Amino acid sequence: MNQSFYGLLLYIFLVTPPVANFMESLMVIHMHMQMPMLVIAGMLMARFFQKRFPRFFEKWNSNGVPGITLFVILMVYWMLPRTMDEALTSTLVEGFKFISLPFLAGISLRDSWKKLNPFGKNSIIISFTVLFIGLGWIYIWSPVQLCNNYLVIEQVTLGWAFLLTAIGMIVYLGYNFFIDPSAYE
Amino acid sequence: MKMEADLKIGFKDKANKMLGYHPEDAKLSKSYIAVAFIALLVGGFLGLLQGLNRAGLLELPSWFNYYQVLTAHGLLLILVLTAFFTIGYFYAALSHNLGGLLPKVRKLAWIGFFIKLAGFVLAVIPILMNEASVMYTFYPPMAAHPVFYIGLALIVVGVWSCCIGAFIQVANWRKNHKGQHVPILSYFATGVFVLLFFALMFVAVEVLFMIIPWVFGWVDTINVMVARTLFWAFGHTLVNIWYLTAVSAWYVVVPKVIGGKRWSDLLTRVVIIALVIMNITGGFHHQIIDPGINEVVKFMHVFMSLAIGFPSLMTAFALFAVFERTARRKGGKGLIGWWKKMPWGDVRFLAPFIAMVAFIPAGAGGIAQSTNQLDQVVHNTMWIVGHFHLTLGMSVVMTFFGISYWLVPFISNRVLTPQINRLGVIQTWIWTAGMICMSGAMHYVGLLGSPRRTSYTTYGDHATALGWDPYLMLLAVGGTLLIVGVILQVYAVFNMMFFAPKGDTEFPIAEEEDNATKTPYITERWGLWIVIMLIVVAMAYVIPLTEFIVNAPPGSPPFKTW
Ligand code: HEM
Ligand SMILES: [Cu+2]
Repeated sequence: MNQSFYGLLLYIFLVTPPVANFMESLMVIHMHMQMPMLVIAGMLMARFFQKRFPRFFEKWNSNGVPGITLFVILMVYWMLPRTMDEALTSTLVEGFKFISLPFLAGISLRDSWKKLNPFGKNSIIISFTVLFIGLGWIYIWSPVQLCNNYLVIEQVTLGWAFLLTAIGMIVYLGYNFFIDPSAYE
Repeated sequence: MKMEADLKIGFKDKANKMLGYHPEDAKLSKSYIAVAFIALLVGGFLGLLQGLNRAGLLELPSWFNYYQVLTAHGLLLILVLTAFFTIGYFYAALSHNLGGLLPKVRKLAWIGFFIKLAGFVLAVIPILMNEASVMYTFYPPMAAHPVFYIGLALIVVGVWSCCIGAFIQVANWRKNHKGQHVPILSYFATGVFVLLFFALMFVAVEVLFMIIPWVFGWVDTINVMVARTLFWAFGHTLVNIWYLTAVSAWYVVVPKVIGGKRWSDLLTRVVIIALVIMNITGGFHHQIIDPGINEVVKFMHVFMSLAIGFPSLMTAFALFAVFERTARRKGGKGLIGWWKKMPWGDVRFLAPFIAMVAFIPAGAGGIAQSTNQLDQVVHNTMWIVGHFHLTLGMSVVMTFFGISYWLVPFISNRVLTPQINRLGVIQTWIWTAGMICMSGAMHYVGLLGSPRRTSYTTYGDHATALGWDPYLMLLAVGGTLLIVGVILQVYAVFNMMFFAPKGDTEFPIAEEEDNATKTPYITERWGLWIVIMLIVVAMAYVIPLTEFIVNAPPGSPPFKTW
């Protein structure tokens, strides 16, 4: 139960207006810190729901595919410049962000990841890597401002963050591919 | 006769095995340690020249001016002494802990040794020719002779070679000891070499891709802010590498020397991981006064720097708890009474102990400097020089000295004699007195405005500058005491290395407490910790670096300002 509680604390911290305002004031922090941390908060809280409603998860997410699909859809949705913009201008959309990322994306990621087979896991990571490279490319080399609320320099910064994250994932994939943990553990 | 000799050798080998002593590895460590202490000797004398000059007692000749001396002093002590000591010490630990170095690992370390030496020679030549008075920070747009930078690049390659050797050694051991924890000192070594490996990438990029094309004239200008940022991503990490090295002895060795047990293995490993993950991003606290960095970003970095303070505080708590427990077990009583039970006459305890105590004011000063407003008062004054002579010159270096009194006998197959121990105790007190005088004077005169990196001047007999003189005199007094300390220390090291009586010395590694909690295996998953570290680094550096590059000013041509 402990971790669910910490997840809740993290969630409350993230939605507190001064914290949220600060994080949303920089594009890269908005997308690469606030959003992932909301997902992480959800992942921590997931334990609570898994214990509370085991049958629900059993019934709807037995092989992890529905959950991970929901996760992917939400992630892609929130990576569009347009949705970020709207989260800043419309309270309704901002509310949706604070609910969808932890409670839909975070929980379903936690519940699905363990259920996926290695092929599923790797395909997810690879697709996100490709997506991140694409997004990085768009954000860095786009000649125009994509978000009404953020300047071009912020957009470029975000693009680099995407590229670096992609590089990080490639390193991870390579590490997984070349190193067999069972040789060491 | 022959057989007897054989038997004897056989017996000797067995004893060596039990002590974890491997002659060829010992030779390697001995070479590293010898270079480190020669660097101390030369660097110490250069320091003395600086101290005497700053006090107005000595005018340096035009063929060897203050800034040449200062560049060499910085490089010798910050780079050569620390790098060679750290590598020599941790390679000894790897060899001892992990059943001897693999031949290819030993070879990598030797290759690293000679590449580093070659690099160092290349870097020193232009300094002596007054072509590279750029200080150890070599900030552009000051430009030295290209050879200087080629030397630096070689030093980087040499250290990398040692990092890779260490990784191979640890990976191999883990393959053969599935599911076991890497022994604690080797775990420290792993953390240190991981940090070194990644931190060096930043300077490597700075030197190879920015400075070298620029000093050769292949490009006209350099982006100064990017270069400084890359330098400090490395420089700050180097500082914490020394700190981790010192802490390894505080945690693992000192408890053994006083006959106690090691504090929580889990906590120790958590501290190491925390330092590895959070370290590199601390670099910005060296750029608090730099222009071009958004206040919000600076604030985040102050937060990151202070976050490193947390594991450091855990360290202090753990260590004093160990001391108290051990002393009480030996019958120490009362609130302070247990102090008497500590082995004050044993240099292997005394030197690191004083080093730890020095870390208290040193850490406090560091926290003060991380604060923007306070740093504006002391930035680029002698205060800063006082600060790092306290942290590095006292906390770290005195721990190295303390280590030398068992490490050098261990790798030389000799013993620490009572005479050398007494010499060590005297050395420790002299060094303590000298550093208190010198660093205290530096701190104070810095508050009064005396600049760092500036040879003696009275600014046309300006009253303020004249007011610094008494403190600068005290600085010179401290420096003189220190040079006595340097000579004693270097004498002790070479005596233990070549002349002390033969015999077996133990490699002191304290046992865990009996009721220790079991350390979870996740602490061994370096792949995970490295990925997290890279994420933290990316989070910290993407915003400012993109800004420096995208909104870059025209850039600067090279300047020779001296
Ligand atoms: C005999 C002992 C020593 C003396 C007398 C001494 C003295 C000095 C003095 C006077 C300065 C110059 C301040 C300035 O003008 O900015 C200096 C700088 C410095 N010292 Fe020492 N020092 C000693 C030992 C050490 C040790 C043991 C270390 C490190 C392991 C060290 C590291 C440095 C560094 C890094 C600088 C800064 C160089 C720069 O600003 O570029 N010193 N020292
Ligand atoms: Cu630092």
